[in-house]
Amino acid sequence: MTKLVGITVKVRVIGQGAARSIKVPQKTKIADLLDQLGQNRETVVVRLNGKVVAEEERLADGDSVEILLVVTGG
Amino acid sequence: MRCSFCGRRAVYNRRYAGTLLCDRCMVKSVERRFRRAMGEHRLVSPGERVALAVSGGKDSVSCMHLLADYCSRKNCELVAVTVDEGIKGYREKSLPIARENAEMLGVEHFVVGFEQAFGATLDKIVKLAKRKKTEFNPCTYCGVMRRSLLNQAARELGADKLATAHNLDDEVQAIMLNYVRADFSRLYRLGPSYQPREGFVPRIKPLREIPEKEVALYALLKGIKVHLGVCPYAGGIHTEIRDFLNKLETNHPNSKFMILRMFDRMKPHLIEAVPEFEMRKCEMCGEPTSTSICKSCELLQGLELKRGQKTLISAKSLVNMAAS
Repeated sequence: MTKLVGITVKVRVIGQGAARSIKVPQKTKIADLLDQLGQNRETVVVRLNGKVVAEEERLADGDSVEILLVVTGG
Repeated sequence: MRCSFCGRRAVYNRRYAGTLLCDRCMVKSVERRFRRAMGEHRLVSPGERVALAVSGGKDSVSCMHLLADYCSRKNCELVAVTVDEGIKGYREKSLPIARENAEMLGVEHFVVGFEQAFGATLDKIVKLAKRKKTEFNPCTYCGVMRRSLLNQAARELGADKLATAHNLDDEVQAIMLNYVRADFSRLYRLGPSYQPREGFVPRIKPLREIPEKEVALYALLKGIKVHLGVCPYAGGIHTEIRDFLNKLETNHPNSKFMILRMFDRMKPHLIEAVPEFEMRKCEMCGEPTSTSICKSCELLQGLELKRGQKTLISAKSLVNMAAS
């Protein structure tokens, strides 16, 4: 039986406090992380290690993820 | 993840079109859509003066950058107008950003305030409404009074068009909201441009076919300074409809565009069904209205407030006043 290996990423939602470490399965997509955090992809822009990326990018151990809440109207 | 057009690293998955875009192609695409809307709907003609409502948020500031460039090429003039509703902790943060961007682009910038125009800030209006237990929420007061003030400001500035930075999400939310409220008179007025009756400055919406997230990406990728704060009064049915539409779009990409396209196809038939009415001048303030008293005056009356002496203030003089 193969053991599932997880990775740890640092996640910060801009304007909502400090960054926190989150453990996710290997090859997790940013879109999956957003789902886990209850953030709708239509309402955010994600920076991976300081660069804006598409939500289909996969995460690697030690990555830094910044989530900018850009849909502010309503 | 590579750009579908040039092979560079993608920054955005445009799921409704099945394409990936890099930073350069993303910026170009937004600029192209803006120019297409301007041209297709003939939103502005050479020689015209355009007043743009600028809050300092991502939509209005991006629109100011796009319109400033467009106007410099098409020989038209752009002026910016900010409505200071008087929302503590919110508007004082976005106003300097609007001013900074206007200065950088060489756009003349004016401010009109609720306090000067209506004798009270929105904060005070909300408190009064609560005390008097009126049926209206903050967005009703703000929306009605802001629209009225923008129209007056645009008229005073001699503008031929009044531009607002409503994006695809805003427009689709408005369509849905008017359906839910069965508000036919507001529904048929939605569109890329609206040619209202006498006394109103024609309104245009150059960002109407650009999704909100793409406007945000445009500002971010261009390094434009914007205010990303949330209005403390945001909430209620507007937010519920916004969240519903975003969930729908996530699960069924292209839904927002489909709602917009369907509405645009229905619109000519809606206009045919609009009952004839006579435009008059409001008995209290002289602003155009279809009833004896305009909606702003009606709301003010309910709160026992009187209109003040509205004055257009140059944003620059506001800075000088604060410094002295």
